[in-house]
Amino acid sequence: MIKTDVIIIGGGSTGCGIARDLALRGIPHCLIEKGDFAAGATGACHGLLHSGGRYAVNDPEAATECISENMILRKIGVKCVEQTGGLFVRLPGDSKRFRDMFLKSCEEVGIPTEVLSPSRALDLVPSLNPSLEEAVKVPDCSIDPFRLCMLNITSSRKRGGEILTHNRVIDIIMEHGRCVGVRAQEESTAEVREIRGKIIINATGAWGDKVASLAGSSVPMTLSKGSLIITNHRLTNMVINRLRPSSDGDIIVPNEAVCLAGTTSMTVSDPDEAGVEPGEVDIIATQAQQMIPDFRTTRLIRVYAGVRPLLEADDGDDRAISRGFRIIDHKNGMFSILGGKLSTYRLMAEKMSDSVMEVFGLKTKCRTAELPLEGQEELRGYPISNRLKTLENIVCECELVTADDVERVAREIGARHIGDIQHRTRLGMGPCQGGFCTYRALGIMQEMGRMTPEESMRILREFLQRRFKGIKPALWGDQLREEQLVEGIYLGILDMEQEP
Amino acid sequence: MSGTYDVVIIGGGMSGMMAAIALADMGRKIAVVSKGDPVCCLSTGCIDLLATDGDPLKGVGSLPDNHPYHLVGEDAIRESLEMFRDIMSEGGMPYVGDARVNRRILTPLGRRKVTCLVPGTMEFADFHSDEYIHVISFKKMKDFYPDYITSRYKNAGYSIFDAGIATTAGIAEQFENRKFLEGFISWLKGLDIPEGRIAIPAVLGMRFAGDVCNEISAKLGRNVFEIPTLPPSVPGLRLFGGLKKALLKRGGDLYWGREIYSVEKLGNQIEAVTLAGAGRSARVQGNAFILATGSFVSGGLHTSMDAVEETVFDLPAYLPGGRESWFNDDFFAPGHAIEKSGICVDPFFRPVDPQFENLFVCGSILAFSEIMKYRCGHGMAIATGVAAAKACGRPA
Repeated sequence: MIKTDVIIIGGGSTGCGIARDLALRGIPHCLIEKGDFAAGATGACHGLLHSGGRYAVNDPEAATECISENMILRKIGVKCVEQTGGLFVRLPGDSKRFRDMFLKSCEEVGIPTEVLSPSRALDLVPSLNPSLEEAVKVPDCSIDPFRLCMLNITSSRKRGGEILTHNRVIDIIMEHGRCVGVRAQEESTAEVREIRGKIIINATGAWGDKVASLAGSSVPMTLSKGSLIITNHRLTNMVINRLRPSSDGDIIVPNEAVCLAGTTSMTVSDPDEAGVEPGEVDIIATQAQQMIPDFRTTRLIRVYAGVRPLLEADDGDDRAISRGFRIIDHKNGMFSILGGKLSTYRLMAEKMSDSVMEVFGLKTKCRTAELPLEGQEELRGYPISNRLKTLENIVCECELVTADDVERVAREIGARHIGDIQHRTRLGMGPCQGGFCTYRALGIMQEMGRMTPEESMRILREFLQRRFKGIKPALWGDQLREEQLVEGIYLGILDMEQEP
Repeated sequence: MSGTYDVVIIGGGMSGMMAAIALADMGRKIAVVSKGDPVCCLSTGCIDLLATDGDPLKGVGSLPDNHPYHLVGEDAIRESLEMFRDIMSEGGMPYVGDARVNRRILTPLGRRKVTCLVPGTMEFADFHSDEYIHVISFKKMKDFYPDYITSRYKNAGYSIFDAGIATTAGIAEQFENRKFLEGFISWLKGLDIPEGRIAIPAVLGMRFAGDVCNEISAKLGRNVFEIPTLPPSVPGLRLFGGLKKALLKRGGDLYWGREIYSVEKLGNQIEAVTLAGAGRSARVQGNAFILATGSFVSGGLHTSMDAVEETVFDLPAYLPGGRESWFNDDFFAPGHAIEKSGICVDPFFRPVDPQFENLFVCGSILAFSEIMKYRCGHGMAIATGVAAAKACGRPA
């Protein structure tokens, strides 16, 4: 049994942010996550650190939070934020009135803007639609959500935080009507552990209501699915937004070696059932082509969907719902934090931790905005020249991951899941989407004795199914060629079978 | 370089090369145009005819009516495979097997894959599962994990040899070195391997693999066989090398690494194609043309979001419905509908629509070939390649 003060359920940006905040204030805590970090909406978003421009007109409060957090995160998270800058692009036919409202709202909430002529915008981003009317430059950034979570967790671990990934909370222990702990089950061993604490924080995003119901509580929220497409290379070095009221497929974000285009917005009832529909791919691809015409012939390597946990709406339109956040005190020792967005994760964590301090009657102030994220010095960083220095035995050619990297991560975190390796090394995140390297990484883990050959085959089989599900909705053109090759390898040369 | 030929074959893969060799044997002056090394270089090097339990040739009869095998017919399929065997023997790379009998080879996952003709180095790959199998691997080889094989068999073990290099092509090059081979054999002898067979990834040299394999067999007193690996695949490269050698020997011209950028048509005839090249273009004129550019992976067909196009002549291609119907949900379920797409031809391998009198089509670009579903890739390429050559070479 683990005894602690605060139990945090959920390893997304909010949960990891709370762990760091509490650690810096000296509060013992334990974070429990059913999969790996950033497995929900955190990892399935654009990876956009908003300037606030997107919300300036409709939701000035959210916009204000965004611009202030944007300025903080670019300072404390140098290694996970790429200061790309962003453009809001106005195309022929887009309302000039909205553009005027946009500039005025940005000024009111303090988002710096600069209006660019078409030729200046094309100087910055040559792939833009050359018939654009104008562009507005804003301080958008691209952010690596997984890395962000890891860095937050580093602060927690350094100060004795207990971190349990691949542990699912199956039960909340109640005594005299109050939550006093949880029971969590490990994913591969099925071992059940009891964790006792004084406060439970439900930071499970779209799964918030499912978790709250374990303590007989409920959380009113709307689940809004957003789908995204990944391209095989960077079509732009700046974030590209469409200068018009929020709509489907109006943002393209450069991220590491690829671009993410999206999103859509559809109300769903179950976060575990959210898949991408072919119609959504058509919408995103069509919209993205209007901003960047080359999108039409670009290889699309994967699609995915995330589920936004939005505050409950009164009427039907998801986009009208505030992207703000709320903390609910269930008055039974459990708090739920819901709503919000990746860009404001730190602020959410601060407010949540303030509530915890209030319960404990402590006065230590939040320091997460001043101290740089810890552990950044150990990151290799993206510059390819850094990676080329250590290249031997490459197993993932797309992202230049070596056999040593795989072995090191497998040893350090005792990885038994291919996802753990992928998230920490970027193995399989490039253009082939793990078509070649997953087989190798599993082979290495199996040789290390991390898994039996049979387990490793089962994981490979599941991986290939999952991969295909993610590729299928946007499968045409050159990506179809690549897919025929991968099919030829696994089904043809290896003669891999559906069932063992 | 420009030229005028009896027949110009576009595509240097299995079907194009077989068509070219067949036409050269018929005394035609031929040229092969290819934009690069073909997909068969990535293959196992084995000839899959049709994955059935029994006689694969008989199985052809139960394929759907529109399958291109039916245009060839059982006897001609068998004859074309015999012709292929003769060509490979002549080049010093004999194949074994019989068109009426499927056999099995061992894959790097320990699966026993069904195929038909195999290179001599895989003759003993069809073992009985009670027999002892000793797998040899090479240090740091990326795509070969012997536990995957040994964990599937009761009687199996493995050893790892340090070749000083880890790539398949690199090790294959080493095996052409006498001293390396002798060192390898004496290492093997020192292992004291139990009675049974020895399985080695397919790296036993590029040109004389059969001799290397036989020598190891003789010195060890064990049957030795190769396991085809992931691309770059040495047996695939050997196969392509053998075909290329046979073609050059017959006086065929090769336009290699050249893409076609324009096509000259006159009425219902194709006159010539123009090839891009470093510094200068080339015009290749022909009395007849054979299209053997393959399916999606080799670039003969290309899809956009909702359409399919044939990339050289812009021929109308069959497409099975809208995008939502192209794929199965299950990666492992054989046969995505998109595999049916391709060019529909008449009994003489000419595109049904529009009618070019002097254009013939063969190989996996043919509609309804579904080579992954039926596991008939190289067999189909050989059979339709030779058949298209005959149709094209027949007296007018």
